[in-house]
Amino acid sequence: MADTLGAFEQAVLLAIVRLGEEAYGRAILQEVQTRTGRDVAAGAVHATLERLERKGLLTSRLGPGTPIRDGRVRRFYRLDPSGRRALNEARAAVDTLWRGLRWPLKGSV
Amino acid sequence: MSHDATPPAWAEHLLRLAVGAGEFDHLSGDLLEQYRVTVLPARGPRGADRWYVLQVLGFVWRGARGWALLFALGFLARTAFDWLVPTQHFYDRALVTTITSASILFIAAFWPAWRSGSVLAGPLFGLATTALAAPLQIAGTLALLAIWHDPGTQAAISGSGGLDEVFALPFLVMLPAIVIGTIAGLLGAALASLRRPPALRA
Repeated sequence: MADTLGAFEQAVLLAIVRLGEEAYGRAILQEVQTRTGRDVAAGAVHATLERLERKGLLTSRLGPGTPIRDGRVRRFYRLDPSGRRALNEARAAVDTLWRGLRWPLKGSV
Repeated sequence: MSHDATPPAWAEHLLRLAVGAGEFDHLSGDLLEQYRVTVLPARGPRGADRWYVLQVLGFVWRGARGWALLFALGFLARTAFDWLVPTQHFYDRALVTTITSASILFIAAFWPAWRSGSVLAGPLFGLATTALAAPLQIAGTLALLAIWHDPGTQAAISGSGGLDEVFALPFLVMLPAIVIGTIAGLLGAALASLRRPPALRA
């Protein structure tokens, strides 16, 4: 079984999936903020990316900068097969927990 | 969107010290892009500068929090030991805790100095470690007091220097932390310069 993912780790990995070839630090930060509706610290995203890379769930490479960032390099991230597997397992675990229940929960349940 | 607006230069320098030379380029680029594209139009120059500084402090906090926790736990263990197992001979205990605390501060300061290649990262992280540890030490001491406040413990507290010392120490160690951090910073930066190819050495 792949590593159990926390909610924030899932948000970061899913942002990478959505962004595809454009998954670099600032774009991931923006995507996570948009999807979660929260003001997320850049440091939190960076620490999570580092941890996920150490776990072998994603890989990164440096790419060219753009004028808006004064030409400073961008670090692009890509999901590894084990990252995809971990996301699938996280989704399956939640689906299993919810099986047989109607969403959203109503009444006194 | 402004292509030439820049965040405070000192904050960028602090970021370099906090994340190291290898990570600085892409991280500062990400922050700069977010600053110019998203934050500045929404919050204005002052708000954007404040946002940038908070992001950088977040990196410092993440770099020092583990060491701060370790430092605070060492302090609280010593405090609890002095209160619960009183002694008249504090020399051995003081020696052990001083060496342990100094070692934690040294490592906490050495690592960022080695990573960034800057001496300044040493005192910065020495100070940050003790500053983050201080509230934990105070809160921990209050928790210990809430649990153990019988007359026997009160006597042991008086015999080990009193409460004044326990509450003052977390702040008094900040100056030695800067000194230890500077020494660690000098060593870390010196070793980092040896690691670099000769052509890149300043």
